[in-house]
Amino acid sequence: MLRDPVPRFDMARSKTVTIHVPAVLRDCCGGAAELALSASSLRAVLEELEQRYPALYRSICDETGTVRRHVGLFVNTSHVRDREGLDTALVPGDVVTILPAVSGG
Amino acid sequence: MAERVILMIGTKKGLLVAEAPKTRRSFALRGPFGAGVAVYAALIDTRGAPRFYASSCNPFFGMKVLRSTDLGKTFKDTKSAPAFPKKDGRALANIWSLAAGASKKELWCGVEPASLFQSSDGGDSWELVPGISNHPHARKWQPGNGGLCLHTILRDGERVHLGISTGGHYLSEDGGVRFAAANKGVGAGFQPDPFPEFGQCVHKIAGHEDAPGRLYMQNHGGWAKWDGPGGPRPDIGVLRSDDHGKSWRSIAKGLPSDFGFPIVVHPDDADTLYVLPLEPQTRTCPGAKPAVWRSEDGGGSWNRLARGLPKKDSFFTVQRDAMDIDELGSPALYFGTTTGQLWIGRDGGEEWECLFDSLPPIHCVKVAVV
Repeated sequence: MLRDPVPRFDMARSKTVTIHVPAVLRDCCGGAAELALSASSLRAVLEELEQRYPALYRSICDETGTVRRHVGLFVNTSHVRDREGLDTALVPGDVVTILPAVSGG
Repeated sequence: MAERVILMIGTKKGLLVAEAPKTRRSFALRGPFGAGVAVYAALIDTRGAPRFYASSCNPFFGMKVLRSTDLGKTFKDTKSAPAFPKKDGRALANIWSLAAGASKKELWCGVEPASLFQSSDGGDSWELVPGISNHPHARKWQPGNGGLCLHTILRDGERVHLGISTGGHYLSEDGGVRFAAANKGVGAGFQPDPFPEFGQCVHKIAGHEDAPGRLYMQNHGGWAKWDGPGGPRPDIGVLRSDDHGKSWRSIAKGLPSDFGFPIVVHPDDADTLYVLPLEPQTRTCPGAKPAVWRSEDGGGSWNRLARGLPKKDSFFTVQRDAMDIDELGSPALYFGTTTGQLWIGRDGGEEWECLFDSLPPIHCVKVAVV
């Protein structure tokens, strides 16, 4: 059974989680590929993004606060739909990855 | 002094801009801007220094409005796109129309789900227009095949006409504060009542500043053979109003089909208008032979314009905003197809030529002489 790899311990990041931003959305956060936030759940990450990077938040969530249908959010290697959705708990060192869902056409 | 003709071509894969000298002999293409993202609405705002706007409807990351101040050589995102208030409960699915407002930087934007937004700063910030967006009918409108979209915004002084699919025609006479359904004579084919108060699948509305009060409408026709409740409803597809849209009458007689999407008025003659009839089932041209049809008497009679267009085996759709006409002395029509062809109809549509034949599927075409 595959398990999420244990995130690498890093003193500089020990109190934070890392948000990996795809290239297509980096204009929304000053070009940053990664953001470091202090948050204990995915919902808290999104709330923090809404405050600090509203354009990035709006690219992830629509006006109702729902994660857009074609956006995938992962905690480490797990899609959050396979965990607790926005209530997925985070621990320091976790990596949240934002990815456009696979689609064609 | 106007020196060039510019086309904004909204496609499934981004915005293309085509430019030609006033001779229109050949067009040079640039773009795509907003590459890979569908563009359903475009506006060339020629009030003052020209500003170009386009919607960029990203199915992954949401909506943007693109703006150019250098004649479409470069585009940047405006500071924000229309968005519903958080407590509204609706989420923007698409941007279907962009129109110039009364003041220099005022813009109007029609979206899906059908609602209207207004900007007073050239698209950097937007506010919901509650008179239509929160109209008591709004939660009863149903989406058509293209979605529940507000696709037409026509301003005539304090009057504002809106086309909604499927909501019908709504009229404001106080600058856009209050709106009322104005659909007398506008038929609906997909419900038992052939002439409901609202809920018609209006496809496009056009007017002309030289003919105040007159409007032309391409409605969702193709119901002449309906044999269910309410009975057949022939010729409900192409309509005219002479009282600011309060009542409408058919002008479809003489057309091969009353179904279609775009409707365009000649820039110098309010009696001359153009439609592109489609088969209602396939939404392609009758007999697979494309043709634009022109009336020069306000819809009293129609002539087929097809010289240069394919004579057979042609199966494309021309969408509601994919036909436009320029304002040169002998104006040219332009239409884009879902098969990625961009056609020019010189001399008011007398002679057609394919300018580009391998573009992405085309959603909208706007032209200006700047």
